[in-house]
Amino acid sequence: MTERLQFALPSKGRLMEQATEALAKAGLEVKKTGNERGYLGEIVGIKNLDVLFVSASEIAWYLKTGKAHLGVTGADLVQERMTDWETRIKMLKPLGFGFADVVVAVPNCWLDVRTIANLDELAGSFRATHGRWFRVATKYINLSRQFFVAKGFNDYRIVESLGATEGTPTAGTADLIVDITTTGTTLKANGLRILDDGIILKSQANLIASNVANWTPQTREAQNEIMARLGD
Amino acid sequence: MVAETARAFEALEAQAQTLLSTFVAAGHEAVAPAVLQPADVYLDVIGEALRARSYVFTDPDGDEYCLRPDLTVPICRLHLERHPEGSKQGDYCYNGSAFRFQPRGADAAHPREFRQCGIESIGVVDREKSDAQTLARILNALDAAGLKDWKLRIGDLGLFRALLDAIDMPERWRERLRHRFWRPVAFREELENLTQSADHANTSGLPDELLKSLDPAKPEEAAKQTAEYLDSNNIDMIGVRTLEEISLHLARMAADIRAERLPEATANLIEGYIGVKAPARAAGARVKDLMRDTGVDISPALDRYHKRLQHLSEMGVDITRAEFSAEFGRSLEYYTGFVFEVLVPDLGQTSPVAGGGRYDGLMKMCGAPENVPAVGAAIHTERLLTAVRG
Repeated sequence: MTERLQFALPSKGRLMEQATEALAKAGLEVKKTGNERGYLGEIVGIKNLDVLFVSASEIAWYLKTGKAHLGVTGADLVQERMTDWETRIKMLKPLGFGFADVVVAVPNCWLDVRTIANLDELAGSFRATHGRWFRVATKYINLSRQFFVAKGFNDYRIVESLGATEGTPTAGTADLIVDITTTGTTLKANGLRILDDGIILKSQANLIASNVANWTPQTREAQNEIMARLGD
Repeated sequence: MVAETARAFEALEAQAQTLLSTFVAAGHEAVAPAVLQPADVYLDVIGEALRARSYVFTDPDGDEYCLRPDLTVPICRLHLERHPEGSKQGDYCYNGSAFRFQPRGADAAHPREFRQCGIESIGVVDREKSDAQTLARILNALDAAGLKDWKLRIGDLGLFRALLDAIDMPERWRERLRHRFWRPVAFREELENLTQSADHANTSGLPDELLKSLDPAKPEEAAKQTAEYLDSNNIDMIGVRTLEEISLHLARMAADIRAERLPEATANLIEGYIGVKAPARAAGARVKDLMRDTGVDISPALDRYHKRLQHLSEMGVDITRAEFSAEFGRSLEYYTGFVFEVLVPDLGQTSPVAGGGRYDGLMKMCGAPENVPAVGAAIHTERLLTAVRG
């Protein structure tokens, strides 16, 4: 096994820029090694460390399997991808960007539904009228299921949605959604409203450590240096 | 896992032929629906809980399928394919594999893959007679296979429904109680909520002024008022719920706030009913006793219960071996009326050798235009073989 700390960072988009920026602010300069379009890098001045540029959703998998020691990604992605995330990883530090809430939203015209409890008591008559359960469109299948179980709400079914989830109630393919939102503007534009108790997770980008990666004195040292620079 | 030795297989096949021949002699058509079923119907019927107890997967086209967890839904689908209007009579029998995920690991009594042999009667209007016939035919088949020592556990979800209907309370409370019936803890909590004077109406955050002005007795007016409210707040109607559905539910919530709390005595009556457990014949009298002096009358439902027992007696079923439990059937959400299990002392309470019941709502969930009376039952053939061989 390698004795170099594997540090997974988002490989593109806003998240990559913000992650690089946040590290630079702490004096950690991320540089690509080799080809500008390649996926490997380093942090200037930190020994025994490789940067891996990976898509944000893959980072969760890298941490889960121990392919990376450290990573920067959204808490939502980690919690969705690992039902046992608390044993597999450790959230070291929220990084102050990539804010997003995972929420339950229903059509705003459902004046009679403000809470999950309202939804639950309605499930029976909805099923009697429409011959099926409520359909919940989401890409957060696990987060939704866990949240609804904890609230005692069981009478729904999930329709997996990988894009344009906010449009599904209007299109009639779903009745309500579980999705990510930052300002709520998109939800509003699609005639949706967040339930009063419908915030599943307040997510932001985190520096995350894998508990299952191969930790050695060298990799610990590299991690400590990063943590020290980040002011922790 | 099932030990698939040739001998065990042959023994099961021979037993299945015995069972099936009794069903065919009683007028059931033998059918063999597909093992692989679209997950859609099951997910709509059972809900997301299906994924926790079945084998659901996505095929290369991205469509979800499951290995059938029972044969009732496949039979309903088969019947609908033949008769899209659904209500035509159909009597079927089958023998085939079913699959269940066993979270704590499979054992001999709870295998992942097992064979069910059973019957379904769809579209028979005389419900009590059809209920009795189903049970009598299952017992007859078990007898032909050599099972002599059995006990029956029966329940009747129609009695519970009738009880709620007969008690004076807002319709919305009824729905809440009916809906939570399947989950004992949530049900008890709901019952407590309804008896307490504090505001447990779950109405916080709702449009107050609108709520105050709605009258559930005037649904058309309520719809109009709700439409005006939506209009003046620039809220568009989206989704499948209609204005009438939303306004009616709002009006019921309004009535709920204004309603008297559920009297303690009524809550006790409901709890008392759920606790009833007695020999089949005595149970009817016990339930009747509970209702005495309460002003709650469920005689028509009780009459149906007794009529069913009468049919069973006339069909030669020994009723003294049946115990009624009001709570039985709670974990099986698609049943709507009579439910039963055949128990064998050696196998214990959690491994019934056969079971079934009435599911009048299932055909509609599978795509029929209306509810269709339907009843069925299945024999767990591996357990039966174990039971008769000792």
